Amino acid sequence: MDGAVHTISRLASARHDVAAPAPMWEHRRPDVRPVPEPLLAVTALNRRYGEQIALADVGFAASAGEVLGIIGPNGAGKTTMLETIAGVMPADGGEILWRGVPLPQARRRAFIFYLPDGIRPYGDEPVARVLKFFAGVYRRHDAEVAGAIASVGLAPMLAKRVQSLSKGYARRLMLALGLLAPHPLLLMDEPFDGFDLRQTRAIAQVLRRAAGEGRTLVLAIHQLADAERVCDRFVLLADGRVRGSGTLAELRNRVGLSDAGLEDIFLALT
Amino acid sequence: MRSPDPIMRAPLAPLLAKELWEILGGRALWLLLLLVCPLVGYSFVQAVSLYGEASAAGLQSPALAVSLSPLDGVLVPTFGAFYVAVTLLFPFVAIRVLGHEKETGALRLLVQLPYGSGTIVAVKVAAVLVAWALASIPVLSALVAWRLLGGHLHSPETSTLVLGHLLYGLLVGAIALFAAAIAESAATAAIITLAFTLGSWVLDFTLAGRPGILDWLSRLSLTQVLRPFEQGLLPAGAVVGTAAVICGFAALAAIWLPPGVPLRRKLARSGLCVLAVMAVVGLASQLRFSPDTSEDRRNSFSAADHTALARLTGSLAITVHLAPEDPRYIDFRRNVLAKLERALPNVAVRLAQGRQTAAGSSADDAYGEIEYAYGARADVSRSTSPREVLPLLYALGDVAVPTPAPGTDYPGYPLAVDAGVTLPWFFGVLPLLIAFAWWWSRRPPAIEKAWVHQGGQ
Repeated sequence: MDGAVHTISRLASARHDVAAPAPMWEHRRPDVRPVPEPLLAVTALNRRYGEQIALADVGFAASAGEVLGIIGPNGAGKTTMLETIAGVMPADGGEILWRGVPLPQARRRAFIFYLPDGIRPYGDEPVARVLKFFAGVYRRHDAEVAGAIASVGLAPMLAKRVQSLSKGYARRLMLALGLLAPHPLLLMDEPFDGFDLRQTRAIAQVLRRAAGEGRTLVLAIHQLADAERVCDRFVLLADGRVRGSGTLAELRNRVGLSDAGLEDIFLALT
Repeated sequence: MRSPDPIMRAPLAPLLAKELWEILGGRALWLLLLLVCPLVGYSFVQAVSLYGEASAAGLQSPALAVSLSPLDGVLVPTFGAFYVAVTLLFPFVAIRVLGHEKETGALRLLVQLPYGSGTIVAVKVAAVLVAWALASIPVLSALVAWRLLGGHLHSPETSTLVLGHLLYGLLVGAIALFAAAIAESAATAAIITLAFTLGSWVLDFTLAGRPGILDWLSRLSLTQVLRPFEQGLLPAGAVVGTAAVICGFAALAAIWLPPGVPLRRKLARSGLCVLAVMAVVGLASQLRFSPDTSEDRRNSFSAADHTALARLTGSLAITVHLAPEDPRYIDFRRNVLAKLERALPNVAVRLAQGRQTAAGSSADDAYGEIEYAYGARADVSRSTSPREVLPLLYALGDVAVPTPAPGTDYPGYPLAVDAGVTLPWFFGVLPLLIAFAWWWSRRPPAIEKAWVHQGGQ
């Protein structure tokens, strides 16, 4: 993880020629007007599975450079929400706004990259080949790939096949793919799943640095301690509904518990 | 949002390389290759053996040698084994191209990459094409073996046969891709694809030659795609129509690929796609250009007759008093009408009394007659043989009966040879080479040194 400090800045500040497009957030900069719109706004998002309501009028916003935690127990609708925002699952209703402008489903992949939970992409292939594929797609240079590998500590596993990776290393591979993707907004489903305490802290540092470089991270987390460690703000989700949102201090004020942890706040609001 | 999105574009090379590694990384292709080797080898040896037995008489008599065509005797049976493998096993290879990503969840990453669904599916079709080309190595090696044994190959008819199998393979592959796109699992996709391919066999066996709608249904069979190519015909309509259906299934796969598109929109787009393909197939069916690439001109009259018939520039109307399922009509259709349509610019064929049936025709005195009308002249015959029909037509058109040019007759290519010497190739050497290639493809790649060194390893 030692190289991680420089990795994200290398990824973010890597110079690109004409053929290699700069990261998305650099391209978006000229579009930024001095208006208060958040980077991402979700309004009245709805999704049903038959009779079951998975998301009911979900709405929240995320600002540039922010780490936003979507907090909720298993089955709260976190994954459904991320997938509908990313456009890999159709929503029954609602709107996704990018800097205040509606972002249709077909264009979301230009701005948002979503890392699903529990997948091992291209299991028959060695890790290096999967990284090479993504690096090729996004025209990443060797130094940038090396930085991503060092950030998540994936170097010892490069020759291994993806299906033979442990849960933790499979998660690191996904994070590396997220770091290679140049999108200004990353959605991550359970990014700490499979990590022990030390690893979680190290990965949290990596994510914080990514946010420090201007990327916005929306993390779906069910471990409240992990969420408290890394997130700037929280959206509390239960039964497909938003029960509260804000910084830890704002949420404490709302429930009237000045020293409460996220766990107490969540219990108070749901 | 106003500026073009550079992230929406990406080079194709990484995607293509990924697809190729994916198809080489799975077991399905290698197992298919290992199974095709003995299957094709056995068929080839059997075909050459039977051809050799038939050639024994042909070597003694040039008249008997005329009927000995390597296309019928060796190529079609050998490719027949390949056809069985493509029908039953190739779907599993093609399904994996998409189904594996769907099952492992990688599809959710793939659809976020800066490629359109159409591009993704087009590259997957290219990967299927590469897989088919690899799977055809055993059968292509059989062609080489046939030449080494002293056999004769006529390049145009051989190429036509290979093209037919290529179209059939791509058709099966495109159906498999579509099935993988709509099915939740590879097993379901396999069932859907085999329903198409095996269902085609059922259609062929049970409905072919039946009257009316049943005959039309039997023509929907996938196996019908191959028939003209196996006869050395290169029908433009079949090529364009099959290509349109392949593109149609690929387009449907592209429509059903993105998981984020609502079902209703997918259904609407699919409907439009099906209509477009039906329109192209309908137009393609009107194409009459169909060159005969067979060396023995089995689908055409002799060159002399062909030239003479070309002088009949007027409109020839033929009225046939036969039921479509009557063997005489089938014989007439194959030996006269099909060849006439290739030789004459204006020929119109009509079945008298619509859909007459052989069973109900006994009371019709004209049943069995074939009327020919050319300009102001007309004639009637009951013959279905070109030997009698052609002079009749020449008489109607005041064209002299041509005399065959010497040396233009098909000589036939008898060859009595023992193909058993090729068995070690199909049962030993080639499978070992394939196993070696499989092992080679499984080697871990060389890691870029810069990735490790610069990464602080």
